[in-house]
Amino acid sequence: MTTHEQGCILACIDGSELGNSVVEHAIWLAQTSQLPIKFLHTIEHSHHSENAHHEGTITPNMKEHLLDELSDEERLESKKLIADGKAILANAKQKAEQAGLSNIIAKQRHGSLSETLVDLKDEISLVVLGAKGEDHDGNKQGLGSQLEEAIRAIHSPIFIVKDAFGQPKKMMLAYNGSPTSQQALNQIKQGQLGDLDLELHIVSVHKEQAQAQTLIDEANTFLANTELRLVTRAIEGETVEELTQYQHHNQIDITTMGAFSHGKVHGFFFGSFTTEMLLECSTHFLLIRE
Amino acid sequence: MLLSAKQDWIGNIRGDILAGIVVALALVPEAIAFSIIAGVDPKVGLYASFAIAVMIAVVGGRAGMISAATAATALLMVTLVKDHGLQYLLAATVLAGALQIVAGYLNLHKFMSFISKSVMTGFLNALAILIFMAQLPELTNVTWHMYALTGLGLGIIYLFPYMPKIGKILPSPLVNIIVVTLVVYFMDIDVRTIGDMGELPDTLPIFLWPDVPLNWATLSIILPYSVSIAIVGLLESLMTANVIDELTDTTSDKKRECKGQGIANIGSGLIGGMAGCAMIGQSIINVKSGGRGRLSTMVAGLFLLVLVVFLSDILSIVPMAALVAVMIMVSIGTFDWSSIKSLKTNPSSASAVMVATVIVVVWTHNLAFGVFTGILIGSLFMAQRLSQFMYIESDYDEATDIRTYNVIGQVFFNSSDKFIGFFDFKEAVDKIVIDVHRAHFWDITAVSALDKVVIKLRREGADVSIIGLNEASETLLDKFAVHDKPEEIEKIMGGH
Repeated sequence: MTTHEQGCILACIDGSELGNSVVEHAIWLAQTSQLPIKFLHTIEHSHHSENAHHEGTITPNMKEHLLDELSDEERLESKKLIADGKAILANAKQKAEQAGLSNIIAKQRHGSLSETLVDLKDEISLVVLGAKGEDHDGNKQGLGSQLEEAIRAIHSPIFIVKDAFGQPKKMMLAYNGSPTSQQALNQIKQGQLGDLDLELHIVSVHKEQAQAQTLIDEANTFLANTELRLVTRAIEGETVEELTQYQHHNQIDITTMGAFSHGKVHGFFFGSFTTEMLLECSTHFLLIRE
Repeated sequence: MLLSAKQDWIGNIRGDILAGIVVALALVPEAIAFSIIAGVDPKVGLYASFAIAVMIAVVGGRAGMISAATAATALLMVTLVKDHGLQYLLAATVLAGALQIVAGYLNLHKFMSFISKSVMTGFLNALAILIFMAQLPELTNVTWHMYALTGLGLGIIYLFPYMPKIGKILPSPLVNIIVVTLVVYFMDIDVRTIGDMGELPDTLPIFLWPDVPLNWATLSIILPYSVSIAIVGLLESLMTANVIDELTDTTSDKKRECKGQGIANIGSGLIGGMAGCAMIGQSIINVKSGGRGRLSTMVAGLFLLVLVVFLSDILSIVPMAALVAVMIMVSIGTFDWSSIKSLKTNPSSASAVMVATVIVVVWTHNLAFGVFTGILIGSLFMAQRLSQFMYIESDYDEATDIRTYNVIGQVFFNSSDKFIGFFDFKEAVDKIVIDVHRAHFWDITAVSALDKVVIKLRREGADVSIIGLNEASETLLDKFAVHDKPEEIEKIMGGH
């Protein structure tokens, strides 16, 4: 899975329910791609003081007193978060070692997930993320609040973990002819997505059957003479609905597609196809960024 | 952009709403007091505070910072209002906003780095003194009732927070206003009230284009005021943004803040409000009350408007004594008391900069002049210090009759006299070598000092040769940028 020469598989973990699954998926991806694996835990301050004072009096040296108070409060919070993170990372590292991996790095950084991903972008080949973090545990539906920002922050492929780990067998590529989906196709053909040993389903959905078929023919021609185990399918209908049904009926494990090729403003007004798919489909996702 | 903004808005809803309400309660008396300082009706400051707070919540660059009508800008308007009236103030406010937007596009926020800690302390101390002085007219030629009531108010403000339980819930400045008002109302004491100071808002603000002739005469009247307001407004806003950055350990977009202040001031001027800027005290109160997001600023502005429009009748009977007590509290809180203690321990140059800033501000009533004075004096001290980083070694070789001068360090306008002084022009030698390869010639004063030395030595009959001039004058070129080249900085620090 090399898009960069010296990149690594970056597994972003926290104490959430999906944390273990992220670790297991990252280990599986590291095994198939032969890339080094790096576990990342980010320490993000809430920046919300627990002790608000509402007396509203301007007092001498108020700034200095408040600064002392807030920094004391955050110091304790940081220390706890760092200790928790260290335990999570140690656990992940141990699992990776047990799985026989040798090139393992564990890293802790301050800042939000997206900030950190931007800082580390040069050393990343693939990011593995849980669909939602520890703030959203127990919330069956829904995506984490940081997910979209994190995906938009980087340009390497991103693996989104939505559920517990099970050996993946089938991957579906949602192909609509867009530049990112062509890129996905290309990366598969070049073997850039590694030796995943999966059955690949290429599915095109369009309002008109003929159009969908054209897209599939395009993909078939492109992938001719490869040794992939291919299943292709052209479907007429509404994209998200048909893709969701297809993955359901065919026990697809991973959905691959281009992600967030439109800007945020477009997404704000028209809704984002990526977000809708992430919400509706129960598979894991391999998102390809422009 | 939208996503991070979303976090700024809804990331801390409960904390922001509570803090916004606390701030709004504190803003009302301040906005009225600042209107009185500027010499306009209380409604001008109240509308301004509403407009600026609401708009800066959306367009500002620092989430959680409170902007409204302020003392710093009000002090600049006094003579404009006295000589030309409210409409010219509104026009000056709009123009000041436009200038701030231009300043934002020109990246002028970067000049903030010239403002040293001493200048900033001087700014705050001067502001505190001016706010206090602005209360004196209320405290002169009045009956003893006024002093008693003001004293009562101050007592409540500083002692109420020590009350068990309720002391930590109710804002003590508000308790002061309620108690002093009740005392005056029920004891029927004849003192001035806010209602005596001018019109209070009883309706929502409406859009109004300032009623001034659009010509050069108007521009020449308002431009000096607008420039001062724009500068002081940005200074206090950027300073406050730094304070909030530090308190919350987060960053802000200073360029956006400059443009945002401009937009907010234009908006304020167009609904009949005066110019304002960020408020250090209120912004700290906001953070202290748990406010972090843009929502807190928005709530402060909206709640302030609701308060004044619905409570204008009650507000009008609030005695000025209660207001004066609040303003004395603001003054005491704004003053950096530790700076008096550190006058003894700080280097005398730092103290001089701070004191000079205060004196110039109190003298001119213009914070911008004080800041410029502080920057100027601070820079002179810095130049004085840098000029110590230069010396010349001299060596005489008897066998060849050659005198060698080895120049090391920084030669610029302030050290060039010292540079010339190192040479012994009375010495009769055949040949003189000036080795400047370990020196830096920062400006043309340095170069002409070298010329002067060479000519003088030649006149005495010596053959003069200079070594390493190219390296020495590299610094002269403005393009010589060392900021991202460690090896270049190393050269300057340690010689070539």
